[in-house]
Amino acid sequence: MDLENQQRVKDIAEKYPAEDIVVILGGAEAQSAKLMGDTVTTGDPTFAGPLAGVQLGLTAYHAVEPQFKDAVDEDVYDDQIGMMEMVLDVDEIIAAMNEVRG
Amino acid sequence: MCTIVPISLTVGANRIVPTIAIPHPLGNPALDPVEEKALRRRLVEKALEALSTEVDGQEVFEAF
Amino acid sequence: MSKKKVVHYINQFFAGIGGEEKADHKPEVREGVVGPGIGLNAALGDNAEIIATVICGDTYFNEHLEEAEAAVLEMVEKYNPDLFIAGPAFNAGRYGVAAGAVTKAVSEKLGIPAVTAMYVENPGADMYKSDVYIVKTGNSAATMGQAIPALTSLALKLLKGEEIGTPDEDNYMERGIRVNYFAEERGSKRAVDMLIKKLKGEEFVTEYPMPAFDRVFPNPAVKDITKAKIGLVTSGGIVPKGNPDKIESSSASKYGRYDISGFDVLTSETHETAHGGYDPVYANADPNRVLPVDVLRDLEKEGKIGSLHNIYYATVGNGTAVASAKKYAEAFAKELVADGVDAVITTST
Repeated sequence: MDLENQQRVKDIAEKYPAEDIVVILGGAEAQSAKLMGDTVTTGDPTFAGPLAGVQLGLTAYHAVEPQFKDAVDEDVYDDQIGMMEMVLDVDEIIAAMNEVRG
Repeated sequence: MCTIVPISLTVGANRIVPTIAIPHPLGNPALDPVEEKALRRRLVEKALEALSTEVDGQEVFEAF
Repeated sequence: MSKKKVVHYINQFFAGIGGEEKADHKPEVREGVVGPGIGLNAALGDNAEIIATVICGDTYFNEHLEEAEAAVLEMVEKYNPDLFIAGPAFNAGRYGVAAGAVTKAVSEKLGIPAVTAMYVENPGADMYKSDVYIVKTGNSAATMGQAIPALTSLALKLLKGEEIGTPDEDNYMERGIRVNYFAEERGSKRAVDMLIKKLKGEEFVTEYPMPAFDRVFPNPAVKDITKAKIGLVTSGGIVPKGNPDKIESSSASKYGRYDISGFDVLTSETHETAHGGYDPVYANADPNRVLPVDVLRDLEKEGKIGSLHNIYYATVGNGTAVASAKKYAEAFAKELVADGVDAVITTST
C-alpha cells in the first residue's frame, strides 16, 4: 500500500475506534490484496511506510468478496465493478483475504 | 556516460565517461545556464574523444 | 547473559525519511530499530537485538563512496556490535551498491561478521558477491516476508560461528569459492549417470556451472569523428512530453524510438523523464541534462561531428531486467547499424 494511503488509514484509525472502521480494497491481484490487507491489520509487511510495525488490527475486505458484494446495490456493483470482476482471479483474492483475516 | 562508475565497470562497459550526479548526469542546476551548458559540452566532448580512442578492455575517460 | 548486539544499515526510503527527493540524505545513526529492522529484530528473537540503525541516502552514498563508507564505519564501530546486517536492498541498484560496500567494509575493516541481501540482478550483487555473503531476495519489497527469515537465518549462523553451507543450502549468492569434498560415487560413474539422464531428456544438475562471461571486446576507435554520424541512446528515461508510449517508470517492458529532427534543444515543454529511480525535477526542467541534444546540435553545426542521428532510443533502466535490456539493445542496434550510425553515446544516471 503506498505511503500516502498508509498515512490516511493511520490517521483515520487514530480518530475512530477500530471496530467502527472497515477497509475495502481494490487491488488487481491476490498478492497485492494480501500485502494491503496485512498492512492495515498487522503492519506494513514491506516496512516501507508509516504502518511499518504498526498493528492497527482493522477489518479489511476486497471489493470482489461476497461480504461486500452482497451488501451493496447490485446494479451499482455491476456498473462499477462488474467488468473488473470478470478479469480478476476472484477465488485467489478471496483466499488471500481469508488469510489476512486469519 | 554515467555517474556510478563502479557499476559501469562491473557490467563491462568499454568506454566510460563519469558524469556529474545521478539526477543530472550532464548538468548542474547550481550553475547558471551558460556555465551549465559549457559543462555539458565538456563532458560530451570527452565522450567523443573516448569514441575516437583505441581501448583495451575497459577505460574510464575523466572530463575533469 | 545479554543478547548479542546488531547494527543495521538501511536507506532513506526504508527509514521513512523520503523517496528520491531525500536520496541525498547524509549518513546518520539512530538508536534501536527503524523500518525493516522491526521485522529483523523479531526474527532474531532472543539471540540478538538491533541496538542501532545507520541510515544513508542512496544517491549520497553513491556520489560520495569513500566519505560515506568512512562515516558509516565510524558509526558502526562506536557500537562495537557482534553482527552487522545491511538491507535487504531487493532490486534498488544504488541501495544494493551501498549495502554491499558497507557490508564489505565492516567485515574487512572492523572484522565484524556481516551480511546483506538483495536481488540477484542488483548491480551491487555482481560487485560484492565475491567479497561478502549476499542473501538472495525477490526483486521487490513485496517479498520482504521471505527475505527477513532468509537473511536472519544466515546472519545467526555467522553470529554463532556455525559452519555456513553451500549457496543453495543457505540461500546466498555464489561467491566463487570452491570447496573440496569426498563424493560417495566416483567421477566416472557420476559422469555416465549424468550423460544417461541427458540422453533420456531427464533433468540433471551439472557439477560445474559454466561461468557467465558477459564481456564484449571494445570496437575499434572512430577514425574521424568530424565525419561520424553519432546516435544517442539512454536508459535515463527521456521521452517526448506525455510519455506517449507509456514506458514504465520501473521494470520497463519496452523502449521508445523518437525523432529529434528539428530539435536543437530539448525543453520541459517538449520532453520529460519517465524514470522513477531518481529525483526527476532536474531532468524535467532541462532534459538535455540526461540526453545532451543541445550540445550535440552545436557540435554538429560547428562540424565537430558529422551529424547527429535524427532518431534516439530510450528506455528506463530502473529495475529493468538485464534480459530485457539486452533484448531492446539487440533490436535497436540493428536499426542503428542500418541507419549508418558510426558511434553511439549512451547516457544513464
